Amino acid sequence: MIVRSGQRWLWLVLFLAPAMVLFTMYFVYPLGFVFVTSTLEWNGVSAAKFVGLQNYIDNFGSRSFQFSIRNNFIWLGSLAVVQIALAALVAMILARQPRGWRFLRTVYFLPNVISQVAIAMMWAALYNAEYGAINQFLELLGLEHLTHNWLGEIGTALPSILIQQVFYIGYFMIIIMASTMSIPESYYQAAQIDGANVLQQELYITLPMIRSILVTSMTLAAAYGLRHFEATFLLTDGGPAHRTSVLGIQLYKMTSALDYGHANAVGGTLVVLGLIVITLIRSTLGRRVAADEAKQ
Amino acid sequence: MRRVISTLIVLVLALVMTTSLMATGGSEMAEGEITLDFPTFWVGQDSKSGPIASLLETFNAMHEGEIRVLIEPNPSTDGYRDKLNTQLASGRAPDLFVFAPDPTTFQYYETDILMDFTDDLAGSWGDVFSGGQIAGATRNGRTKSVPYEVSIIPIWYNSDLFDQAGIDSFPVDLAEFQVAATALKDAGIVPTSQMTGGSNAWTSMLWFSHAAASLGGPGVWDLPLSDPIFTQAAEVLRSMYLDGNTTRDAVGGDAGVSGGHYMAGDTAMFINGPWYIGRIRGDAPEVHAATMLASIPQVGEYSGHQLGGPLSNLGAANTTSAARRDAVVTWMQFMTEPANVRMMSESSGALFGIKYELGADADPLQQEFVRVASEASFLVDHFASAYTVDVVAEFGQALAEMALGEFTPQEFIQALIDKDNE
Repeated sequence: MIVRSGQRWLWLVLFLAPAMVLFTMYFVYPLGFVFVTSTLEWNGVSAAKFVGLQNYIDNFGSRSFQFSIRNNFIWLGSLAVVQIALAALVAMILARQPRGWRFLRTVYFLPNVISQVAIAMMWAALYNAEYGAINQFLELLGLEHLTHNWLGEIGTALPSILIQQVFYIGYFMIIIMASTMSIPESYYQAAQIDGANVLQQELYITLPMIRSILVTSMTLAAAYGLRHFEATFLLTDGGPAHRTSVLGIQLYKMTSALDYGHANAVGGTLVVLGLIVITLIRSTLGRRVAADEAKQ
Repeated sequence: MRRVISTLIVLVLALVMTTSLMATGGSEMAEGEITLDFPTFWVGQDSKSGPIASLLETFNAMHEGEIRVLIEPNPSTDGYRDKLNTQLASGRAPDLFVFAPDPTTFQYYETDILMDFTDDLAGSWGDVFSGGQIAGATRNGRTKSVPYEVSIIPIWYNSDLFDQAGIDSFPVDLAEFQVAATALKDAGIVPTSQMTGGSNAWTSMLWFSHAAASLGGPGVWDLPLSDPIFTQAAEVLRSMYLDGNTTRDAVGGDAGVSGGHYMAGDTAMFINGPWYIGRIRGDAPEVHAATMLASIPQVGEYSGHQLGGPLSNLGAANTTSAARRDAVVTWMQFMTEPANVRMMSESSGALFGIKYELGADADPLQQEFVRVASEASFLVDHFASAYTVDVVAEFGQALAEMALGEFTPQEFIQALIDKDNE
């Protein structure tokens, strides 16, 4: 059947229109709104005043914003590098289907189906300086000198939140594991015949075969790192002394103070940072993987 | 092409029919009972949750078929405030709501999204309020909220723990306070509950406010933050965090940590308002029975004062519907009827800016609140009532910095000044 080109275009428009309308309503418009209002002095109530880039200048000059942006990059690195490395390691081990691997897969994934609030409350109780299980355990071992106010000291607060998040590898582990398990068994059998040990098989077969999914996972993890909010908000609210604050918390606090101009300048900064980071990941690691795959 | 057009027509017809059916449902609802949504944090463990539920049941029964008020529970006070701010900033107000009257929230008076009660309160309804309450809820001649709960915030101390430490009276100045703190620590008792967390570092912010008022008097919040008295007040607050004068989890701790230690009998001194009476009476009856109230030990020129002022006002969404407006005013008048306020007050321990008498069998601690309020040399607002939300939020962060030795008291105050200037 020959489809006339005019009719084809009409159908294309018809099918794309709902998605485009929704995309415009819920993404393009809010994004434009964020950037436009980030140039205003506006409390959401009185008339807005155009201030150009002053809100961005104020934010970058503020100490709490500087801590936040530094922490966002720490989150980005921790999730995109450490968490993905851990997830890949566990995925590669479980993909070899050792005894109890299904159970372990479920255990690792379990935190992803539990509410972040419940998890944060549990960790807050564990970390409590007076009653927390961690300090009590250390005291039991006679290691009182190692006890801390984990979420209330400048040196321990950020690592404490990072640790409880970075080890929740389940989501990326499942993605990487699915990719690992789809590698044909014959590749490994051939390598075994050639005398390759397990480590060599993982290094020279598995890793090259899952590189593209690793880059995708890193991109996603980097995005999560940049927009990180929940665990920090629930555990420390950015304290002590802004040392655990992230841009999401800055935005939230400015919104609560009805300072929408500065808040949306934080939002605009987050969008630009996200674009830069993701473009960098895709244009370096992603392009290299694509080139290697093309050679193969 | 014809098939495409007929498909489009069917889609449009389906959309129109669905929309009109939805619209019909809405108008039927509007013609019947008026429903007013009331998002509030007076639920769950809040001491007012029981009495408010009871009042609501009575009101809904009295106005069955005409008005129905539905509570939308928001157990977190901070979460409720943030949600409310976001909603108000988007130009919509809940049908009914509670808010803390402060410089940030009074900005909403500039809009027309809040219902204006000026004319209603000018009539006999206005007579039920205590002196100055309506004026406190009025800006530029318009009263766009109804004054309701008030705060009296003295120092609480556990007399049993004081007895254990051999202290026979509450310290009257800082020197006596240091002696008492040492005696308490020697007896294995932590002197004070403190906190740097939450949206306003509540307990510590109140200690600071008490100290500042002792130094600056009734007009303390008219002084600029650069006035040396605020650095002195910060020095007093810092001393509360040193030498084991508070619990180890105070830095980063929230109201649950601060209040929890007092209720558990870990700490001897604490600060909060009367609304906490209901909670402590239920959760820690022994501590409730041992609790006494006092003014802060004299820090500066002034003594015997208390923190106090409006705490919660009732607000409502503006409406063009006369029937909805009447329903809202009916609810507000019901909530502020002296008999209902008295029930609410006696059940929860809270105090209200409405003329009512507590019964002789009212909670002894609540009666103690009334006594300290009447004996106070003067009443003054706390820091969080005098400054905008961003400065108040900075208070907790800068306090943590000072408590951890990263800031001097001068730097702590400078951080607040910087935030105020932004």
